[in-house]
Amino acid sequence: MARTSPTVRVLLFASARQAVGRSSLDWPVPSSGVLAEELVRRLGAEFPKLKPTLRTSRFVRNGRYLGNGRTLVRPGDEFAVHPPYGGG
Amino acid sequence: MTSLRSTRRTEAVDLPVLLTAHPLSVAHAMRTLEVEGAGGVVLFAGRVRPGRTRAGRVVALDYEVHRAPALARLQELERDSRRRFRARQVVLWHRVGRLGVGEVSVIVGVATPHRAEAFAAARYLIEELKSVVPIWKTERARPGRRPRRRPSRRAGR
Repeated sequence: MARTSPTVRVLLFASARQAVGRSSLDWPVPSSGVLAEELVRRLGAEFPKLKPTLRTSRFVRNGRYLGNGRTLVRPGDEFAVHPPYGGG
Repeated sequence: MTSLRSTRRTEAVDLPVLLTAHPLSVAHAMRTLEVEGAGGVVLFAGRVRPGRTRAGRVVALDYEVHRAPALARLQELERDSRRRFRARQVVLWHRVGRLGVGEVSVIVGVATPHRAEAFAAARYLIEELKSVVPIWKTERARPGRRPRRRPSRRAGR
């Protein structure tokens, strides 16, 4: 019986959404989690068009901004890619 | 806050912070800023301006938001302005969804004891809002007079 693999819900906004063509992804991760910087690297490898956006984006895990890429992202987490803002 | 809520208002919002798909009212924002002890009120309204892109004439902007962190950031800005500029009342309202040219996309207002603080606070708040609040806009354009042969494709997506 195949078990559902653990995933992170990746939210994509603005140019990140346009690069991937979707506003969210269920991204498989090890059950022990993955470092944010590794997750970002893998997203860039999977979606080459997303790479330039990732370089200028901020990242938000479960509603909190990441200070650096060493944060562990666990299955069930929400991980948002925020390209530069443009409100107003 | 409590005194504000208890006075004369019939509309739903007299909140300092708001993200909404509904049209924003400058008049309503002004009423929200009419608080005791505030001798200076500065109110800024940002509107969708006409323009051109390579795709044609801008007819609308689509605003999207990551709501929870956006609200948290707006609330931080509100607290900030009360502390730094002695703001008695603040309005940080942003509209989301599709807005046509001329519509109000953002209202930043501040009521302080004196005018200098009100101007400084309003400037601070709009600049911060643009740089730290997760809101994005995408231009929607309509091809101009010279529609190059693009049979059934619409501008944008």
